[in-house]
Amino acid sequence: MMQKMISKEKISDLIKELQKEFKVFGPVKEEGVVLFKEITDAKEICLDYSNSKIPAKSVLFPMIDTLFSYKKEGKGVKIIENPPYEKTVIFGIRPCDSMVFSLFKNFFSFGKYKDPLVLNRLKNITIIGMGCLEPRTTCFCTSVNGGPFNKESVDVLITEFKDNYYLESITDKGEALIKKIKSLTDADKGDLAKIEKLQKDIESAIPVIEGLDGIYTKLDGLFDHPMWKMESQGCIGCGSCTYLCPTCHCFDVLDENKQDGSGRRIRIWDTCQFPLFTLETSGHNPRTTKLPRVRQRIFHKFNYYPKNYNIIGCVGCGRCIINCPVSSDIRNIFISVENISSKTEG
Amino acid sequence: MTDKSKEKSTEEWKPKIIAFLCNWCSYAGADLAGVSRIQYPPNIRVVRVPCTGRINPFFIIKSLAYGWDGILVSGCHPGDCHYISGNYIARRRFAILRDLMTFLGIEPERLNFTWVSAAEGERFAKIVRKTVENVKSVGPNKIFNKKW
Amino acid sequence: MVINIIDDIEKSIRETAKKLLEEKKVDLIIGYTKGSIPLRSGPCFITDASQTGMLVWNQSCDLNLAKYLAKNDDRKIGIISKGCVGRAIVHLIVEKQLNKENITIIGISCEGVLNRAKIMVEIGDKEIIEANIEDNKIIIKGKDFNKTLPLQDYINQLCITCHYKIPPISDIIIGNKKPEKPPKDDFKDLNEIESKSSNDKMEYFKKELNRCIRCYACREACPMCYCSLCFIDQNKPVWFGKTADISDNFIFHMIRAFHVAGRCVSCGACSSVCPMGIDLNFITRKLEKIVKERFDFESGINLEAPPPMGTHKFDDKQEFMIEED
Repeated sequence: MMQKMISKEKISDLIKELQKEFKVFGPVKEEGVVLFKEITDAKEICLDYSNSKIPAKSVLFPMIDTLFSYKKEGKGVKIIENPPYEKTVIFGIRPCDSMVFSLFKNFFSFGKYKDPLVLNRLKNITIIGMGCLEPRTTCFCTSVNGGPFNKESVDVLITEFKDNYYLESITDKGEALIKKIKSLTDADKGDLAKIEKLQKDIESAIPVIEGLDGIYTKLDGLFDHPMWKMESQGCIGCGSCTYLCPTCHCFDVLDENKQDGSGRRIRIWDTCQFPLFTLETSGHNPRTTKLPRVRQRIFHKFNYYPKNYNIIGCVGCGRCIINCPVSSDIRNIFISVENISSKTEG
Repeated sequence: MTDKSKEKSTEEWKPKIIAFLCNWCSYAGADLAGVSRIQYPPNIRVVRVPCTGRINPFFIIKSLAYGWDGILVSGCHPGDCHYISGNYIARRRFAILRDLMTFLGIEPERLNFTWVSAAEGERFAKIVRKTVENVKSVGPNKIFNKKW
Repeated sequence: MVINIIDDIEKSIRETAKKLLEEKKVDLIIGYTKGSIPLRSGPCFITDASQTGMLVWNQSCDLNLAKYLAKNDDRKIGIISKGCVGRAIVHLIVEKQLNKENITIIGISCEGVLNRAKIMVEIGDKEIIEANIEDNKIIIKGKDFNKTLPLQDYINQLCITCHYKIPPISDIIIGNKKPEKPPKDDFKDLNEIESKSSNDKMEYFKKELNRCIRCYACREACPMCYCSLCFIDQNKPVWFGKTADISDNFIFHMIRAFHVAGRCVSCGACSSVCPMGIDLNFITRKLEKIVKERFDFESGINLEAPPPMGTHKFDDKQEFMIEED
């Protein structure tokens, strides 16, 4: 573990230094919306944000992801591979969002199917996380094994303290990275204890949701429970919750052609909330109404994920609560589940 | 680019225009123009449809998305529709489509609607000339070009 | 028709709902309830008279509840309707999507809803912890800031120009019914965009629609979007691209707008549900203008008037047709 610091004003120096070797992605404010984008100008970066609108999964798993391109040549077709993925740094990601990288690693390498694109990206990405000083009231990361300063899936963790940013290396990859950066100075030892206290204070202030404890086993018996009718009747069936969810990773594969005979195969985001998601070629659709779709979202995150990967498929960022057009709250579902299971037990 | 070279490039550029013609009037009108040997610009490609009422606005938008520079839609004169009211329905549809597309920034010159009867070979040729002129005035269609 | 002239709308909504449920005149009341975060509301579905306390009415009730009425629903439903919800119901009845017999419209006079996207832009990327509306002011409290905004500046554009504060037909009316004559709408708010050149207009809309992530919240919240298979989901053949690329986004929003022309009731639900805060109100307003000027029609006002796209006149304007010179 290595601890360094840099003053807030010099942060663009740090970015510039990183840019020499890496492609740097960071939070950028565009039209009032914070997104993770490639930083071209070090001044663009917006570190005074609570959390980005579109989660940083868009770096690893973009909305439109080219698998390969092709071009007509004579009578044949030439396949054009993607250019090699450059070394990348994701700067300023919140620890909750960074949990996604370990989740995606599980998903995209599950069983015998390995996704070369995502796994290759994962190998080349270094994550510089930024501790969350002002968790929103909708955050519940501590209830899903995370936290505002969670070190589990970041390489370097930054904590803002007074006029400085304190960098702490977590992994070897992170240590190698901050060793190289010249604009960093050794951390002020006196502040480190204060930072630790600050981190603990913020972490303990986040409310813990009772119902989440052991939700996996509780859900097992609730598949056919009438509660899902109640929970789904307000849902309008849009994809806001899943598209803006940092852990949702469902996709659709399409071919796009141009008039000149060139084209590409792409992967775009898809969501279990749309009827077309489950429509089979035969015309049969196993999920025709909103009820099974809403249930699927909860079961996938809190039941199937723990079963398959032994990890909860939710990081508690609260984006689905903030962005839901009909203000349906996932925390209410936890409460319902808790109430029902405690009733049946008692 | 100087004005002169700009002029030159539009001169060389030949717009591609897709024409949706109704079977009963305009297609026959175009045919008449052909058999009467009336000259008109070769920029149009004709799609024969049963009636202008058959034209789904998707056809028009899809054509623009595919890179056609202009659209020509032509049907029977009001009152002459083979299916009695197909062209009236189409007229309302195109009026809204054209207003909306103009509002969203697609040049109205690309969207050309008209009536040509089976007896108006001369008129058809003139309409095509006018359409080509209109489309030339706004230049190539790059509205829906994808970046990749 | 019962007309109650009272001030405390929320209270009388609850009382009316309770009475209707107790007298078994309706099986279900659809209304608004408090959202889990400030300035938000959600729908609520009440079947039990004891739950009517959940119902609320305030400036954050921006959904169009007509979305929750289904064609093949046999239940007797009471629906809390502001003007645009009532208009949507009327238009859906005209399009034979709803059975009027089953619906009890509880009309409330609406003074407009908030444009939340505008408020969010104003306060930046900060969290609102508490928000209250008092004396034409929005008082917002955050962790380390307090802000007071004038209410009239943050009312949805469509509500400012709205002529139908109460539903055109209703079984019960709550609130002050003011049969004031609506001022003539001159669509001045569109002048700014309409006077731009084609290129600038395109730039403007592309900039707005670039943010779209294709979650289809606009479509799903729209009471007029009831197709069992949306054009964008048709894949035999594929008509238009489903990617979040700007050209596909532009086409999607253009065609969706076209499909609600002459049907749109200007409720603004499409804009207010957008998670990316895209302002679709301009397109809605333009549709209103086109249909008003060309066909002298306003959707959802008259149960007898046929929808403009389903009818025609011999002398419809055709000034846009090209002529030989």
